Amino acid sequence: MEQSLRETIHENPKKILGVNSQDAKVSLSYLTVAFVSLLIGGILGLVQGLERAGLIQLPSWLNYYQVLTAHGLLLLVVFTATFSIGYLYANLSHALGGLLPKVRKLAWTGFVLMIIGVAMVVTMIVLNEASVLYTFYPPLAAHPIFYIGLVFVVLGIWACCFGVFINYRHWRKNHPGEVTPILAFFTMGVFVLWFFASLGVTIEVFTLIPWSMGLVETTNVMVARTLFWWFGHTLVNIWYLVAISAWYVFVPRIIGGRHFSDKLIRLVVILVVILNIPGGFHHQIIDPAISQSIKFLHVFMSLSIAVPSLMTAFAMFVVFERTGRRLGGKGLLGWLKKLPWGDVRFLAPMIAMISFIFGGAGGIVNTSNQLNQVIHNTMWVVGHFHITVGVSVVLTFFGICYWLIPHLSKRKLTPKMNKIGIIQTLIWTVGMIIMSGSMHIVGLLGDPRRTSDTTYGGHEAAASWVPFEMLFAVGATLLLIGVIIQVYAVFNMMFFAPKGNTEYPVAEPEDDETPTPMWTERWGLWIVLLLMVVAMAYVVPIVDMLLNAPPGSPPIRTW
Amino acid sequence: METTKTLKTEKPEKYDEKSLKGTIVSVGFVAAVIVVMWVAVFWIYMERV
Ligand code: HEM
Ligand SMILES: [Cu+2]
Repeated sequence: MEQSLRETIHENPKKILGVNSQDAKVSLSYLTVAFVSLLIGGILGLVQGLERAGLIQLPSWLNYYQVLTAHGLLLLVVFTATFSIGYLYANLSHALGGLLPKVRKLAWTGFVLMIIGVAMVVTMIVLNEASVLYTFYPPLAAHPIFYIGLVFVVLGIWACCFGVFINYRHWRKNHPGEVTPILAFFTMGVFVLWFFASLGVTIEVFTLIPWSMGLVETTNVMVARTLFWWFGHTLVNIWYLVAISAWYVFVPRIIGGRHFSDKLIRLVVILVVILNIPGGFHHQIIDPAISQSIKFLHVFMSLSIAVPSLMTAFAMFVVFERTGRRLGGKGLLGWLKKLPWGDVRFLAPMIAMISFIFGGAGGIVNTSNQLNQVIHNTMWVVGHFHITVGVSVVLTFFGICYWLIPHLSKRKLTPKMNKIGIIQTLIWTVGMIIMSGSMHIVGLLGDPRRTSDTTYGGHEAAASWVPFEMLFAVGATLLLIGVIIQVYAVFNMMFFAPKGNTEYPVAEPEDDETPTPMWTERWGLWIVLLLMVVAMAYVVPIVDMLLNAPPGSPPIRTW
Repeated sequence: METTKTLKTEKPEKYDEKSLKGTIVSVGFVAAVIVVMWVAVFWIYMERV
């Protein structure tokens, strides 16, 4: 099979380069699931916003935590994972000259597994058997089918991981002495992280299944939380890598510039892969049973991720300034005016990057021990991840749609669709500034997250939160309008836009750039380093939690 | 829209074409946001302990 592919490449390279139609179908299917999830998740988001503001009351057959569980899982897991897979598989196909047939099969297998898994999970939430929120912390216990569904989702992701690893190896063997195309390099980084991140949560879920079935009486709550955040914290940087792949590789081309140093980009990917996983305890700074020094280690490790982030900020500013000046921008900041603000393919990721300045700074606040005491479990946290994942990541994804989808469906981005995209981007931005901004402030005033009713019998502190909660509702309304426009744009570009060819806007290096050294390709070594860092951060605390375990907890249903 | 052209040197080299002053100012802005936000929340913490 592989032989035949290689022959095709030799015989007719044009036919196979770019995203061919069979590979495009894979990506378009994943993207379809992504945007259906976004629509449902967005509607649920508005319901929450209105309920928190006291503007609506949910009917007796629907409870707030049921809605919140679905919103979190559909957006945080289903939307981001399916979008990332669709986008990265298209990148892989484009960069490596097509997917191997068996890799395409793996991608379809992953698709089916994920659909089955999501259907099981969603059914249990709808039946009110799994209002455990997206973190599904024990002792809250869902129906066993909820956890089994999660296993299917993970298996689907693994199928996609193996697909990427196989295609990468195949390309490596046939291209000795060449560095992998940058898009394939990013894809490797993301799927290596996916694989090692999901190990933790898989172990957790396998302990929860017999416990929720009543086969085991109790479970170790601390170990479960720890394994969850091994995964959860890494997921954040999986999104981050996906988003910066677009910032580094596509944005420079869209603005008519070159990309910043290929070596620096690869170094950033390698650093994020190695340093990432051991930050999990910064989500558990308030948890008992973890020693101060281990918490400190995790805080340090999560701050170390600021290094590649700041490198990225610097590199992107250089790309913008260089390009703006070549276009005739003068003075200190005149180059900013020369950037193509009217092009949605630029505007959306640009706003995403700007919001990451605030999102990243907020993250440094969250991970600082004393500051975490101020914001822990308040609405600040919800504001924080709506600006980071909800803007920096999601708006980047939205911006990608405007060239990726027409490219895959062999259609064109029309000026009218571009205008719709600009309007969408602005509505999303204003909606999130209002919603996330008010969440940040009211969080500092003590408003708790994950709480359907926060009136506390009219206590004056609680009364001071009310105006901000009204603002959530205003922002949420704008955001749902934004979701509807985006979903319309996506399906229009998939099925109805005029036929034509759309560029895959991959930036080229500067003319004077020196070649990238081959040592960057040593994935075996990066994985060994990753495992060493994980061992350093997790072996001692997990062994401690197991050996000095308090009595475990039976399953509890609070709803 | 679809045809983004990569810029080669269209105009004669300008003296400030290579300048990265704007980048320095921008990176300074990033640092300022981090410091201001951190100090603000730390101040709230100190007020409350
Ligand atoms: C229409 C747009 C959106 C609206 C109106 C919205 C609104 C909300 C609201 C009001 C909450 C409840 C906070 C609480 O009670 O603690 C919430 C939670 C959450 N949202 Fe959104 N959101 C939107 C989009 C998104 C997106 C795009 C993502 C991620 C990709 C996201 C991820 C989450 C998560 C993970 C939670 C927390 C769930 C939990 O605490 O268990 N949201 N959202
Ligand atoms: Cu984290």
